[in-house]
Amino acid sequence: MSALARQRWIWAAAGTLLLWLALTLVSDRASLSSLVGISRSAAFLALVALGQMFVVTTGRGNIDLSVASVVTLSAFVTLTISAGSDARLPLAIGAALATGAVTGAINAFLVLKARIAAMIATLSVGYVLATATLLMNRQVRSFEIAPTLRFVATERVAGVPIVALVAILAIALSAWLLNRTIWGMRLCAIGQNLDAARLAGIRTDATIAAAFIASGCLSALSGLLLSAYVGGAFLDMGRPYLLQSIGAVVLGGSLIFGGASTAIGTAFGALLLALIVTVMQVAGLPAGAQDVTQGAIIIAVLAASGLAARAGVRRG
Amino acid sequence: MVSDPQRAPLPQHAKPPAALVTLDAVTVRYGATTAVDDVTLAVAAGDIVGLVGANGAGKSTLMRVLSGMTAPGDGSLKIAGLAVPVGYGPRQAHLSGIRTVWQELSLCANLTVAENFYVEQPDIAGPVWRRSYAERARAALKATFPDARTDPDRLVGRLPIAERQMVEIARAASAPGLRLLILDEPTSSLDATASRQLRDRVRALAASGVAVIFITHKLTEIIDVANRAVVMRNGRKVADTDARSLTETELIAMMGAAEGAAAATPRDAAGEGRTLVRLGGSWIAGGGAPVALAAGSVVGVAGLEGSGQAQLLRSVLDGATDARRDGSAAFVSGDRARDGIFALFDVLTNISIGRITRRAALSRLSYSAEAAAARPLCDRVRLDPDRLGSPITDLSGGNQQKALVARALAADADILLLDDPTRGVDIATKQHLYGVIRETARSGKLVLWHSTEDREFAECDRVLVMSAGRVHSDLGPTETGEEAILAAAFHARATDAAPSGQRPGVAMAKTVAANALRNAAIVALVAILAVMMLRNPMVASEFGLRLLLGPAVALILVAYAQMFVVGGSQIDLGVGAFAGLVNVLAVTALYASPLLGLAAIGVALAGYAAMALGIVVARIPAIVVTLGASFIWYGTGYMILPAPGGTAPDWLRALTAWHIPGVPTPLILILLATAVAVAIHRSRTGTVLRGMGGNEAVMARSGWSVTRYTVLRYLIAGSFAATAGLSIAAASGAGDINAGGTYTLLSVAAVVLGGCQLLGGAIRPLGVAAGAVTLALIGALLGSLGVSTDYNAAVQGLLMIAVLGLGSVVIARGDG
Repeated sequence: MSALARQRWIWAAAGTLLLWLALTLVSDRASLSSLVGISRSAAFLALVALGQMFVVTTGRGNIDLSVASVVTLSAFVTLTISAGSDARLPLAIGAALATGAVTGAINAFLVLKARIAAMIATLSVGYVLATATLLMNRQVRSFEIAPTLRFVATERVAGVPIVALVAILAIALSAWLLNRTIWGMRLCAIGQNLDAARLAGIRTDATIAAAFIASGCLSALSGLLLSAYVGGAFLDMGRPYLLQSIGAVVLGGSLIFGGASTAIGTAFGALLLALIVTVMQVAGLPAGAQDVTQGAIIIAVLAASGLAARAGVRRG
Repeated sequence: MVSDPQRAPLPQHAKPPAALVTLDAVTVRYGATTAVDDVTLAVAAGDIVGLVGANGAGKSTLMRVLSGMTAPGDGSLKIAGLAVPVGYGPRQAHLSGIRTVWQELSLCANLTVAENFYVEQPDIAGPVWRRSYAERARAALKATFPDARTDPDRLVGRLPIAERQMVEIARAASAPGLRLLILDEPTSSLDATASRQLRDRVRALAASGVAVIFITHKLTEIIDVANRAVVMRNGRKVADTDARSLTETELIAMMGAAEGAAAATPRDAAGEGRTLVRLGGSWIAGGGAPVALAAGSVVGVAGLEGSGQAQLLRSVLDGATDARRDGSAAFVSGDRARDGIFALFDVLTNISIGRITRRAALSRLSYSAEAAAARPLCDRVRLDPDRLGSPITDLSGGNQQKALVARALAADADILLLDDPTRGVDIATKQHLYGVIRETARSGKLVLWHSTEDREFAECDRVLVMSAGRVHSDLGPTETGEEAILAAAFHARATDAAPSGQRPGVAMAKTVAANALRNAAIVALVAILAVMMLRNPMVASEFGLRLLLGPAVALILVAYAQMFVVGGSQIDLGVGAFAGLVNVLAVTALYASPLLGLAAIGVALAGYAAMALGIVVARIPAIVVTLGASFIWYGTGYMILPAPGGTAPDWLRALTAWHIPGVPTPLILILLATAVAVAIHRSRTGTVLRGMGGNEAVMARSGWSVTRYTVLRYLIAGSFAATAGLSIAAASGAGDINAGGTYTLLSVAAVVLGGCQLLGGAIRPLGVAAGAVTLALIGALLGSLGVSTDYNAAVQGLLMIAVLGLGSVVIARGDG
């Protein structure tokens, strides 16, 4: 499996490199400053996408549609609780991450115990979170950001945005979990064949629940950093992350039907999507055309891999 | 004799009773196994052939060749004296008048009985086709089962298993142009009367010139109905005689291993270890004494196929109350693809997964340590250790099975559960696995071994013979020969009563609960309207309803679009954005020129239908295609109209601005949309679309093109979504690309609330209408109760969770 996965992320990496080269050739002022911006927006996306990846790995078409609501809600939770003070920051971070973890646990409960299809369960939970966000929106008194959080979200260390470092850490941790721990092996096994996993003695429910909880926590982390970066929170701030997180996972070479995922690939998928957006901005494409291009690229990549898989089956 | 006017006359060249179908020296191999070995068989018109044989004798494979599901490796198949063309498949078999009733039923559970007749026999023309097919279904059922009272308009999925089997048999037996009817275990869930009626029908069919092949384990039925008995053993035809003079004993003797019974491996006396498994309660026939299974022995689990052997092993694995287990257990599956291998893993990972189940989740996984642990296991099962790094799917079936056995050995469990582990495995590997099994038992483990090859029980110390889910006999070491087991199995089958149904009280309560949940949306809608009218009687006025229902019109249209997609077991996450795009086109292009506008909407619709090609041809999951496409719809709309604005054409506004005194216009629009949806749903096309959602493979076998109907499905859905976009423009007079956004998720919610199944193609237009209106009214309800509309979304979400959660509870109870 590792051999297969290792091969697939190459495409996202190659795409990233090509686009970056194109960007540097097209525009003189692109290079460094735009790269910093790209890595920052890619970092926010990568965090959400890694969580999405864990849920997708559990297989049978499982997808977490609540990520967008979690991003938004955790931004509001962070703002409301920290209220611009460093002293209250640990509490705020704890509360934001707990929001994500509880959401993930509820999703897992609905999927595993109430046996609701993951898509519908996470969709419904997203609705409930939307109301929670509306209610919090009325509570927000100020959009002041705790200084430490603002520093982490906006500053750079040796030219690299700190959020990018956070994302790299999360990527490394996810890659380790997926490839080097028993849990990762179980997760991939479940995604390939739930029955076989159960018969092999794997405690499937606990493993799947962990994936949903990880997704909730990572989205919450992204939301809390995002609130500090944009300097506030607004109702639809998480929305773009829904499609983009799924896009990053499949562009990175993880299988949409589960069972084989790559954290590095997901990271490159996020970087690629962020780059595409930047290239389109630099090229002066109107906002609508940027959306069209993103949608078309995701469909094209999947169609290519689908057709290739089909040809492979015919050859075999 | 029942004459059947629908049957086409036999072709002229078949006049001399030449064989209808001829199998000539047919051989079928699956990997290393030869399932059918050099079989020659001719069946003439009017023949009733009883085909018998022990488990795995090759009967079903032979029938798969006849019905075009499996191509013979060697030999040939002739129909009416002509060799079948290359590419003979299920469709050609159908056209040649060959119909098969398989053990696993092939009806579409989400269609009614009459609709199932239509998709298989779409020959009746005319507008009253539903009534014609209901009549045909009723007549067909009556022709075979005179007592049948099955309502042709009931969904097949709601019929008890016996009635489903009767429908399937009746459908095959009444097929126009039927020439050969193959019945594979047709009476397994029928009671004695229905079984006798079926045999009468078989005789009548034969008298009218149809050939029948009848496979069953109930040998008395063969002796009763067949005029020829064909006996198979180990893939070969060993006897082909007149059936009428045979006795059961003679048949069993022919099926058994009279010749060359493999000498059992010499073995030590079974060690008297401690008891590891205790079977009791419902597992023992006639409430007999519990069976204790001790360490150090190999225990076979025998019986005719599907007598509960696999379930017994799984109960032991799960440690169920009646199958108490005192020690750890490891499982080896014989159905490798279904529940054995992890197809994306390499061989090493497939083996070591057995070792890691008891370790902590975050403990480190070391490939070298796993490889070191796997090597001795490879030696034990004789798997080349150099192949540990290969993908498991590169291995032959036999080697895959060795890896699965190695996985179970890696777990080092006290109990080894083998679920037909040598299925499709070559003889050398088999012999070696027998040795491994004995060794494992000798090392103090208990081996519980289910096999579909009765010969293998010679390797066991003890054999439990099962029938109808219970252990009937417990054979000792001297009785584990094939013949003794066959006799015990057939004896057990004969003493078993017909399968008993569920207790009526429980079934009734379950049906009521399930019906209430299916109609949850209607219940909720009535409740909401009642509450609102109580708080404010103005709600019931024409004006009140117009105000309340206005916003529901677009939602209902989008929900119908979603419903037709869900009917194909798919989901559309871009449907709202598409409605938004059409909304934008309506206030720009359509305003500028009706012709240009209609062309633009047509192009958009074509793009929408093109998604179907991505789904069918490129195999992209619908959820991702539609999500990606949603960006295309949104982006295109945004480019055309970046900010809300534009003007809807006057004629479009006029379409919805009319008013009949006393009747709220939105109500009429809603009823109109519902009428269209119901009409499509119930039309021939709608029936085929639902059939595809329920059982695509069966529909394809009946000759329906999956690609064509998927494109059609998306065209229908797209048209509803486009109408929704137009209705938004008509209602607001302006356009906004964001107008459709919220409808996507709401449409999914409406469909789910309306009682549609996300998988399986079961959809309900009236439920969807009620679901959509309910969702649209929740805001108004909260307002009338004095609750902030902030809670709108939460109530919608919780309503969905409640309905679906309760639904699974009811279904789960039903399983138990």
